[in-house]
Amino acid sequence: MIQNKYKILLVEDEDNIRNLVATMLDTAGYQTILADSCTAAKTLYVSYLPDLIILDLGLPDLDGLHLLDFVRKDSLTPIIVLSARADEADKVGALDRGANDYITKPFGSGELLARVRAVLRNNRFSAQEGRLPGGRFLLKDLEIDYDGRRVLLKNQEIKLTQTEYNIMALLSENCGKMMTYAAIIKAIWGGSAQEGSIKKLQVNMANIRKKLGDKPGEINYIVNELGVGYRLNG
Amino acid sequence: MRKEDKQKYGRSLKDGLLMLAILCCAFFISLLFQHIFRVQEHITTIFVFAVFLISIFTEGFLYGIISAFLGTLAVNYAFTFPYFALDFAIPVNLISGIIMVAIAVFTSAIITKLKNHEAVQIESERETMRANLLRAVSHDLRTPLTTIYASSTALLENSRGMTGEQKEKLLEGIKEDAQWLVRMVENLLSITKIDSGQVKITKTPVVLEELIDSVILKFKKRYPHQEIILKLPEQVVIIPMDAILIEQVLINLLENAVQHAKGMTKLSLKVWEEETQAVFEIKDDGCGILKKQLDSLFVGGELTEYEAADSHKKNAGIGLSVCATIIKAHGGTIEAANRKSKGAVFRFTLDTERIWDDTE
Repeated sequence: MIQNKYKILLVEDEDNIRNLVATMLDTAGYQTILADSCTAAKTLYVSYLPDLIILDLGLPDLDGLHLLDFVRKDSLTPIIVLSARADEADKVGALDRGANDYITKPFGSGELLARVRAVLRNNRFSAQEGRLPGGRFLLKDLEIDYDGRRVLLKNQEIKLTQTEYNIMALLSENCGKMMTYAAIIKAIWGGSAQEGSIKKLQVNMANIRKKLGDKPGEINYIVNELGVGYRLNG
Repeated sequence: MRKEDKQKYGRSLKDGLLMLAILCCAFFISLLFQHIFRVQEHITTIFVFAVFLISIFTEGFLYGIISAFLGTLAVNYAFTFPYFALDFAIPVNLISGIIMVAIAVFTSAIITKLKNHEAVQIESERETMRANLLRAVSHDLRTPLTTIYASSTALLENSRGMTGEQKEKLLEGIKEDAQWLVRMVENLLSITKIDSGQVKITKTPVVLEELIDSVILKFKKRYPHQEIILKLPEQVVIIPMDAILIEQVLINLLENAVQHAKGMTKLSLKVWEEETQAVFEIKDDGCGILKKQLDSLFVGGELTEYEAADSHKKNAGIGLSVCATIIKAHGGTIEAANRKSKGAVFRFTLDTERIWDDTE
């Protein structure tokens, strides 16, 4: 059985937090590998090839972003960034450099495990299925028919504009991953994220959310993170 | 910087005009005395008085001294023999000139000193306010820390003798107080961010609906059973703001209602547009706000008075003064009132932004 456990590399320099997160993960049935510095983490990453990395950005020897770049050079191993910096710029920076998600300290046990599960599930899903022609995306009552370029909710077609459909398709292909404004804008319009294009995206998003029947303050299909981006709730 | 320059410029323009006005008055009064009453003796006194007034009401030494010179010239030119000609040979003129300059210098010196003194006093008042805030905060921090520390040591050392229920209670206490600490620290961070270095907040355009979405999700995490009646405008509204800070204002106000509005059954959050502004309104039907608290609600310095020693978990004072600071920094207004029927209402405004029409 032990071989079947997911391996999670936890990189965190503060002993208390490392112990805490390790305990949370252990009791949830994951195998944890612990590192307290960027250099140690690199070595452990190469020798264990973990299924997931939980990475604290403020490390004593090097910035956690170095490890992020190091891993992303040749692998898509999912990375969740753990950060005390509540600053949006840091989150956006980490996401744009390839992190899959982030959690801001302080966090609760439920929150952490939910993110870990989501990231592992989505990674497995996209790795296995890819995006085949004629593929369909299913999430609760939401269905996307990629060939027909249609979005259905409870089997009822929702009328979306071209742009709105493109955004939905992009989010569904990256289901569960936090997509930054910059990433979406680049994929949809091909430009950089200036204030004008962010506004364009926000207005499109507001329309999509309305059409999906998302209500503010409820658990919806699309989650927005103010100043950062959007995620399709996988 | 440019704004400061503009202010300075406006100030010196005002001072200059004031000086000219007072001098003209003095001149005409003197003419009046000379021609109608045929009295000569008081003319110098009139100008001395004018110089005195100018020194009081203008900033610095400059205008007083200029007016002293102008006054001397005017007296010399118009009101002493030979009339309407300058003549510095007469020692009387010289002496009255020197007296005017002296009065200008001394008056300005005294006024400047007085003004400095006032500035120091305001600064020290602010300092006292900050000290009060700090004292209240450190007291408020100690209480939850005691719970957390004591409960965790109890669990570590004596958990064997405890029933599952007891353990759960202690853990629940730890969780609750830790959450409270997190919120407190968030508030303090915001205050220091705005208050200390006068750092300009950076505004980015935020969609109202996304803001409210994020606020309510966070609020529900803390108070899962509190229903909020929501009313937002139909169209997309974009507001430039520091989203983290405004989020905090809304959460503070909602939380304030939950903790302080006793007997509340309905809590509502309503946003509507008024011309170029968005108005946010948080309304409850609880016990309302005491009259004597209403005036000082948003001022942190007052909070020590009604935040008595037992006020654990009642950081209303700090929370609300944080709200006021944040809204002010955004150039908006905030107010609190009691409703006619029952309960309290908080309202604040923010400027909105025109949005693009082409969504394609």
